[in-house]
Amino acid sequence: MFETTQVGSWPRSREMLRALRDRRLGKMSRKDFDRVANHEVRRTVTIQEEAGLDILVDGEHRRDNFYSFITEKVEGTRLMSLAEMLDEVEDKSGFEEMLTTLDVPASAIRNPTCVGRLERREPLALDDYHFVKSLTDKPVKITLPGPYLLSRSMWVGSYTRKAYGDQREMGDDVVRILREELQELAQAGCEFVQFDEPVLTEVVMSAECGRRTFM
Amino acid sequence: MGEELEYAAELINRIIEGVEGTRIGLHICRGNWSTREEVLLTGDYTSLLPALTAMRVRQFVLEYATPRAGDIKVVGESLSNNVPGTETPRELGLGVVNPRTTEVESPEDIVAKAEQALAFYGPDQIFLNTDCGFGCFANRCVNVEEVATAKIKSIVAAARFLRERYG
Repeated sequence: MFETTQVGSWPRSREMLRALRDRRLGKMSRKDFDRVANHEVRRTVTIQEEAGLDILVDGEHRRDNFYSFITEKVEGTRLMSLAEMLDEVEDKSGFEEMLTTLDVPASAIRNPTCVGRLERREPLALDDYHFVKSLTDKPVKITLPGPYLLSRSMWVGSYTRKAYGDQREMGDDVVRILREELQELAQAGCEFVQFDEPVLTEVVMSAECGRRTFM
Repeated sequence: MGEELEYAAELINRIIEGVEGTRIGLHICRGNWSTREEVLLTGDYTSLLPALTAMRVRQFVLEYATPRAGDIKVVGESLSNNVPGTETPRELGLGVVNPRTTEVESPEDIVAKAEQALAFYGPDQIFLNTDCGFGCFANRCVNVEEVATAKIKSIVAAARFLRERYG
């Protein structure tokens, strides 16, 4: 009862941020990147164990953000900063104004844009699960981006229309990919899988708040 | 229910249908890209309930530390029964600390929040967690490690007290 856990991500160290940047720019090998990330995950697991949490997370250190990271794992995607996406947005001034009003740094926040048929190149989070489990006997929570968030954010018309007739068709592939991942995590014994759907609030609240957000 | 909400529920149900052996949760929040609370969204969960009740997930992991999320009663009255078509009780992953603030919530505050949830959920249905991550966007982490550590320790202290009182 009253089991304690976190939602998922942990503050990144300077070393981790540098590794993420170097990896993104193709200046760091995966092996070197993993060495930095593994160290950070180990530290985060220790902190949680010492604090006494019941269900542990890996802190999402390897992820650029909680949904853009899939571009590392899924064929047919491209990591694009919101600044890059601005070129494709119809209402440019409206989009820019929204970013400013909402305090969103357009160059630092990136989107997983769908640019081709989606295919899982490697598991999204199964390896992360195995790594955390090698560090602790406690139950582990793995986070995945929710299907609705992906079906909205990945669709950038001018890029995605070349691969899919409409958003629902792309959504079917999102479902297939997330279902495969969930099945593999369940088979591996992962105790808790959490789907993140922050964009649901936008559907119902952005009108009331008089604005939409960027996701 | 609106078309978009219906679609969101359909998508998650297609993913989880028939998958067993893991606890499946769904997290919802109102944005976590800025430490300026006023630029994040505001509203309780009422308008999402048609979609949430249709989703066959076991646990909803929800913001409740921020007052922008409204009253626990909203989900307590609608999402504390069994997962549709099963004998498994739904759970609430109760957000009890705000990941964006420097002030650390006291165990007493957290206990009080959990006790509000106890009006609708049994102790086994309540999980205690952060409202959201401490660094959803790597380049825009909303807190530092020292504060994050103090916040999770506060959650653990509250849980120990609650287990003593309700165990």
